[in-house]
Amino acid sequence: MTDVRAAEAGPSGTPAAERGQGAPGGQDRPDVSAYGLADWLKWAWRQLTSMRIALVLLFLLALGSVPGSMLPQEGTNPAGVQQYYTAHPALAPWLSRLGLFNVFGAPWFAAIYLLLFASLVGCVVPRTFRLAGSARTLPPRAPRHLTRLPRSAEYSTALVPAQAVDVAARVLAGHGFRLRRPAADGGADGDWVSAEKGYLREAGNLLFHLALLGVLVSVALGGLFGYKADRLLVQGDTFADTQSALDEFYPGRFVTAADLGPFTVTLNQFEASYITSGAQRGQPSSFDAQISYTTHPGGPARTDNLEVNRPLSVDGAKVYLIGHGYAPVFKVTDARGQVVYDQATPFISGSSGNFLSEGVVKVTDAQPEQLGFTGVFVPTAVEINGILQSAFPAADNPAVSLIAYAGNLGLNNGVPQSVYQMDTAGMRQLTPQPQLLLPGQSLKLPGGQGTITFTGYVPWVSLAITHDPGQLPALVCGIAALGGLLLSFMVRRRRLFVRARAGGKAGSPQGSTVQVGGLARTDASGGFEEEFASLAAELRAAHERAAAPIPAGHSQHEGE
Amino acid sequence: MPVNVALGHVSTDFLIAALVIYSLSVVAFAGDFAFGRPRRAGSVARVQARERAAALATVATAGAAAAGPGNGPVNGTVDGPADAAVAGPDAAPAVPDSMPEVAPPPLVAIRQAGRWVEAAMALSVIAVAAHTVAIVTRGLAVHRAPWGNMYEFVTALTCVAAIFFLFVMIRYRAWALGVFVMGAVVVALGLAETLIYTAAGQLVPALQSYWLSIHVTAMTLATGIFFVAAVLGVVYLAADRYNRRVAAGRAEPGNGIMRRLPTTEQLDRLTYRTIVFGFPVWTFGVIAGAIWADEAWGRYWGWDPVETWAFITWVLYAAFLHARATAGFRGRRAQYIQLLGFATLMFNILVVQVFITGLHSYAGVS
Repeated sequence: MTDVRAAEAGPSGTPAAERGQGAPGGQDRPDVSAYGLADWLKWAWRQLTSMRIALVLLFLLALGSVPGSMLPQEGTNPAGVQQYYTAHPALAPWLSRLGLFNVFGAPWFAAIYLLLFASLVGCVVPRTFRLAGSARTLPPRAPRHLTRLPRSAEYSTALVPAQAVDVAARVLAGHGFRLRRPAADGGADGDWVSAEKGYLREAGNLLFHLALLGVLVSVALGGLFGYKADRLLVQGDTFADTQSALDEFYPGRFVTAADLGPFTVTLNQFEASYITSGAQRGQPSSFDAQISYTTHPGGPARTDNLEVNRPLSVDGAKVYLIGHGYAPVFKVTDARGQVVYDQATPFISGSSGNFLSEGVVKVTDAQPEQLGFTGVFVPTAVEINGILQSAFPAADNPAVSLIAYAGNLGLNNGVPQSVYQMDTAGMRQLTPQPQLLLPGQSLKLPGGQGTITFTGYVPWVSLAITHDPGQLPALVCGIAALGGLLLSFMVRRRRLFVRARAGGKAGSPQGSTVQVGGLARTDASGGFEEEFASLAAELRAAHERAAAPIPAGHSQHEGE
Repeated sequence: MPVNVALGHVSTDFLIAALVIYSLSVVAFAGDFAFGRPRRAGSVARVQARERAAALATVATAGAAAAGPGNGPVNGTVDGPADAAVAGPDAAPAVPDSMPEVAPPPLVAIRQAGRWVEAAMALSVIAVAAHTVAIVTRGLAVHRAPWGNMYEFVTALTCVAAIFFLFVMIRYRAWALGVFVMGAVVVALGLAETLIYTAAGQLVPALQSYWLSIHVTAMTLATGIFFVAAVLGVVYLAADRYNRRVAAGRAEPGNGIMRRLPTTEQLDRLTYRTIVFGFPVWTFGVIAGAIWADEAWGRYWGWDPVETWAFITWVLYAAFLHARATAGFRGRRAQYIQLLGFATLMFNILVVQVFITGLHSYAGVS
């Protein structure tokens, strides 16, 4: 692609040829100490923009990406990072120090791609000027011996040399070649025409590299001015896109909570359907979240269906359906007989499949002591060897299994707690065994501490809300890169030369001998050979036509 | 829509048939090595751009090239007026011209290559047809693009590789490479059939998108093309190693297999052009994947493990394209780079998608 980068010398050797251009004075074997800082900088810049270093940087980029896929990353899998810390307590801090849990945000990774892009700029910008220059200059003069070129043809014609070259020039101009003819007084050099075509190749190459830069800028734009947020929404609930209503909020550097669009989303109903038979039993076949939304609180409500692969665009942001689960509904009465808890509690499914989900119920208002429950929800309960399992992801036979605690939930000690975990340090277990409840069933807590009733379940969905102003620029740049790539691969830069010398080949004094020579400066996709053969045949046919007797009343050569 | 099980079986039957016929074509290609007329790969006159002899080759030189297994310019007609004129009937009479060679049409070239190649090509075409029918019927059976899981992906990419290589083989008259590429197709398809066979089925909702047809199709095409490039790369390395051993006096020149292969320059150029074809397709596949990721997951690029490895593959093939233009990296090193690129591609498909949990865990291999 970037075959214009000169083949350069080894990094340490810095032979005279290369050095001679860079160092003022241009000594042959210079004393290293004779170089000033400017010379070293020049040398470093030339090294950086050399193809060899670009290759090395490409390798480093590929190599550096590998740990990003092999180790859990904070951006995509924070839970995995925690697990890694637990599993490898000695190693993990070191990996973290090296940025290996956040490879794609690590300074060393940024160093690689920034150097690569610097190298790219250093290569591409000078070439842009060179391209602009070459677009104004004419093709080179035709060499003397065209049969020495990679492609050549030779034939004789009855036309005199000047006529033959005129005809050839007309044919080549008709194919869009840029032409060069000898200067008016350049008769000594004979009759020739040079033709060149395919300047778009280099333009495509430049477009490709510049578009890659554009992709980088777009990504940065999204990182600085965009945001990502997550929200778990239980069926029947509403949330507004404000920072306090979001579970997680990852703003870009220049984004504040005020930049959030104040739309609201309500989950009216969520349905998941599954394949019920065959080898794929249990595999989901469709998800459908029926929502209503307003672009600002109090605005007119509209309805929509969120599906996987079908996000909602609202107020400059996009809302995606990225997960779902079950929220069992519990009703808790405390020792006084008061209902102190009556709500759907989202349980989170682990990796064990079929939506065996775990969660906690924290009853802070219970008297005289706070109550807490850790539980497991299974949509289709079966018992295998005394262990509660889920046989199917749909809620065909829902059940929960609970362990009750009483004591202090520890919510007032200032340490933030996850709503999905319970700190049992200040609590005592009330039920020695997990207690299984079916919908409608209650568990009476020992010692008159109260009652918990499993009244039913509702589904929940997890939504991702994103706003990325770099998205469209990235797409445009990506398409431009592809277009540039195709141009640079499909267009070949090639030159054709035609010379005509007086005298036919077979001893005939009339007419002339025509030589056609061609070379492709780049021919990535092949095919110059065929093109040359067809052009040579066309030139020859044109010469034959021009030399043939023409019906009366038709002038033979307008150009003469 | 329910899966059409009967049609799924038809698809499987056609695939088995294709596998058998591919194997027969490999046997025929091998038979050409063993019993065919000795000749240098027919592409010699067409591909060696640097040899101007080739440019000047006339009908007469084409015959000379076919006869001579040597490495250099094999014809004595470079400047000679002995060239047979190929001019049309209305050309000036008896003028010794040299016009560029016009290659014989593919069917003629195949016939000239001998019985074994004729048989191998016929079998290859039939096998590709059966393979294509298998994929189309699978698609009709499941009402979607038939590359939704690993098994389907491998069957589709081998079909792309076979079709693409048929094209390459005919265009460059590279019959001698058939045994290697079709052999690799047989191995890949056979492994898919025995190890990861998955019955026709529905897709998870995440894959129910028209982007599956766009993104995965592009990835399948590119993988099939890179597959061919990788086989060519291995052949290149074998030929290059042999040449160096001969140069060092550690191997006998004139090895029966080696002298039938295209020259290393030809293999290098063929590999380059194959990758030049595949790289934009891969780039398009990555961009299409990014658009789909934006639709499905809310970001166009998130360094998901499969995305990361697709990026690594892209970077390595880009490195190959640059290496070919860099002194000191041409030839063998460039081939190592592209083979490394293909290795990362295979690693992505066989290891990352199956064993590393990410958003792309759709392989359907248990």
